Amino acid sequence: MDVVVCLKRVPEVAEVDLQVDPTGKRVKTEGLPFVLNDWDSYALEEAVRIKERMGAKVTAVTVGGEEDEEVLRRALALGADQAIRISDPRLQAPDAFAIARVLAQLIKDLPHDLILVGVQAADDGYAQVGPTLAELLGIPHATLVTSLELEGGKARVRRELEAGLEEVLEVELPALFSIQSGINEPRYVSILGIRRVAKKEIKILGLEALGLEPEGVRPKVLLERLFSPPVGEGAEIITGGVEEVAERVAEIFERGGVI
Amino acid sequence: MGLGERYDLYACFQCGKCTGGCPLSLRSPLNVRVLLREVLLAEGPEGVLQRPELWDCTTCATCTLRCPRGLEPSEVIVALRAELVESGRIPKAVIDALEATYVHGNPWGRARQKRADWMGELRVKVLPEGGRAEWLYFVGCAPSYDPRLQPIARVLCGVMEQAGLDFGVLGTKESCCGNEIRRMGEEGLFEELRQQNKEGFRASGVRGVVTTSPHCMNAFRREYELEGLRVLHYTELLAELIAQGRISPRRELRQRVVYHDPCFLGKQNGVFEAPRDVLRGIPGLELLEFSRSRELSLCCEGGGGRMWVEGVGQGPRNSELRVREAEAMGAEVIATACPFCLLNLEDAVKTTGLEDKLQVKDILELLAEALQMEV
Amino acid sequence: MSGVMVLVEHRRGEIREITWEMLAKAQELSSSLGVEVQAVLIGRGLSGMAQELRPFCHRVLVAEEEGLEAFNSEPYQQVLGRLIEERRPALLMIGHTAQGMDLAPSLAAALDLPLVTDCYEFGLEDGRLWAHRQMYGGKLSAEVSSEAPTKVVTVRTGSFDPEGLREVGGEVEEIKVRLDPFPWKRFLEYVEAPPGEVDITQAEVIVSVGRGIGGPENLGLAEELARALGGVLACSRPVADKKWLPKDRQVGTSGKTVKPKLYIALGISGAFQHIVGMKQSGLILAINKDPKAPIFQVAHYGIVGDLFQVVPALVAKVRERKGG
Repeated sequence: MDVVVCLKRVPEVAEVDLQVDPTGKRVKTEGLPFVLNDWDSYALEEAVRIKERMGAKVTAVTVGGEEDEEVLRRALALGADQAIRISDPRLQAPDAFAIARVLAQLIKDLPHDLILVGVQAADDGYAQVGPTLAELLGIPHATLVTSLELEGGKARVRRELEAGLEEVLEVELPALFSIQSGINEPRYVSILGIRRVAKKEIKILGLEALGLEPEGVRPKVLLERLFSPPVGEGAEIITGGVEEVAERVAEIFERGGVI
Repeated sequence: MGLGERYDLYACFQCGKCTGGCPLSLRSPLNVRVLLREVLLAEGPEGVLQRPELWDCTTCATCTLRCPRGLEPSEVIVALRAELVESGRIPKAVIDALEATYVHGNPWGRARQKRADWMGELRVKVLPEGGRAEWLYFVGCAPSYDPRLQPIARVLCGVMEQAGLDFGVLGTKESCCGNEIRRMGEEGLFEELRQQNKEGFRASGVRGVVTTSPHCMNAFRREYELEGLRVLHYTELLAELIAQGRISPRRELRQRVVYHDPCFLGKQNGVFEAPRDVLRGIPGLELLEFSRSRELSLCCEGGGGRMWVEGVGQGPRNSELRVREAEAMGAEVIATACPFCLLNLEDAVKTTGLEDKLQVKDILELLAEALQMEV
Repeated sequence: MSGVMVLVEHRRGEIREITWEMLAKAQELSSSLGVEVQAVLIGRGLSGMAQELRPFCHRVLVAEEEGLEAFNSEPYQQVLGRLIEERRPALLMIGHTAQGMDLAPSLAAALDLPLVTDCYEFGLEDGRLWAHRQMYGGKLSAEVSSEAPTKVVTVRTGSFDPEGLREVGGEVEEIKVRLDPFPWKRFLEYVEAPPGEVDITQAEVIVSVGRGIGGPENLGLAEELARALGGVLACSRPVADKKWLPKDRQVGTSGKTVKPKLYIALGISGAFQHIVGMKQSGLILAINKDPKAPIFQVAHYGIVGDLFQVVPALVAKVRERKGG
């Protein structure tokens, strides 16, 4: 069983004042901490569990610069058998389609029974790369997967719908699944574990190695600008000391007929 | 596992002084004496490592201090945790605290950008950009971010300024000291934090480091290998300053105050008198003692990762027992010298419904009152 | 340009709300461009739904075939692929829902069409699509564009108001499709979430906790507030993912939608998927350390601060007013 898992490194933005750089098209990332995309950590854990259960071979892939190798090291520390980074200066500001295109070009020549990705990335939230990649590879896919059982060349998956409802599908391998958060509990990866794999080779491939022309990875959708969403009225912020604030809120509750 | 040899466990003659002194033994399945024997006899780590109560240990090191054979049961527990960390199978709460520390530099997961917000309106020199200084004030994660503790950091700055000390802080470059990180078993992350902070110390060119927390002081004094740098807990610094007459608490505080020895200040580092000297330096203050004080102080259950891990113990928390003790002896205030003790004891005052009878204050808060400082 | 196409989203015989929202937007676009609104209805036993839709579209394209009983991206892709090739719409709108997320990207890739997902606002000008979508958990928005002749968008739920729908009186057109078999992806069944002890959708007061609560050991504080107010505890997705609370307490697109008299959000950032599930609450109070947390956009009242300080004080004040 060959499993390919696609990973993305994203900035952690909770509690941060995000600012747009002078180009108007990128976020200022200096000083921001970066992490493995949350959904991808569930996909990676799922891949590792499949490896433990069935003796699969796991390949971890990312598209990005040297700083993005962090997520591949994490995968290697968890037991991934090989790690590949796709990198090319001509891949500037790729859209989801361009990412899927380069991934497809790589993966079509790798043995793959199962491709796991996260549902979406925490930064752009497109939720697009997974099914696009599946289509380009000519394999079936299912998104929002909350449970994955493999048997006899087929996968039985549960998909998360709305309002607590789920659906069950049967999908023939090779297939791609976008993994929903909560499917498992990702284990911890220690610093020593990461140090142990610091010397392992990460293959780096550019467009030529993949047999791609730069025209083939031009984005289909143009990013015009990033902007702060219109603030609107928003909440009335209650200020003051703790007691003051609590008093005011209790008053509001009383006036609102809740107490 | 090799732990038997590494920690000389064949020397253990099962006297039980460890379990007898363990602050968790009344309420947790954790039994240190039995654990040591099992570690020795087990063929592999599986059985012993399955125990969730391994995470109950507060690393107060009472067991290590009491062992008549000089063994280190608390270190064995840390070593078991380190094996679990390598396997990745640790409680979610521990994962969250460790990952938060790796990403943000503190186990609470608060943004590094906000680590210096405790200063508020205060102008404090940030090293090294702001120049050089003699002393580095290492604030610590909890006092940097927790609004209950931030005023304490500001008071210490005010006191040091009053005393004419030349000091600065690392600001947002300060990272977790790693004391609890190491005790949760993440040796690699501890080493990274140590390296980051040591670089900060070196670049700042200071000659001494003073900490809010005994945990930070413990890490710097005993585990950082800081050559030529004086490491003090703030109570030690204050005791010196009061003795030298550089600060003079004048305002009378007629309060019955019982002092609670923090494990990492008292029993582990032998600092018992300095905090008491500071309290005795406050006019009008009546200083009381718990029967379990100094080396026998009852651990508040804040160390060893317990600020983030609930633990499996049942029954009343030690902090609740402690506040009831204080109330029974007629104390009005419990004085603390550790941010974790303060948070835990204050919580216990609330959960035992003793808010009208008892307050928990850091020694710095009492000193601020005596110096008529605005907090 | 030959029209604005809307994929009708339905499940178990009912048209889902997102469809009406998309039709409202489609009507707006079509009237300014002078083109048709075409609803695409794919499935089985559709005549009732077709009639429901007819007044609000110029054309309802109905594709009924064996194999279309339940949603499946494979046959839907075949049908839509054919329709797009034949009719060449200027724009295809699909809901950004579990269905849409499974279908739109592979459909767009198969037909080599530009796709913009999760849009909350968009327009067509001289053959150019511009669209706004959120990024970074709602902290920033992006404006994107495409000039291709046919574009696909997935539409965020709740972005457009079906109140504006007008009757345009259209016709129903049956589409005959011959589906290629798709044995590699089979729908088996639906699974309902098991009923929990507490039905949060019935509660008048909800105290909801997010990641900011820190851990399950801190739930007691939130529970106290809920008790003091006579309410129940609920949570956002991360809390349910971590199993600090059972999934039946989760509020949001993948959980429950609630409309209590009072909704208190503790340590919840306000990601869109959560907001959707509670924004219709009568009175919303949010407490969060981050002044830029998106939750403050939907809350009526907000406190930027430490919930561990504010909540105990609030519990005390509430108890005072209630008479202990």
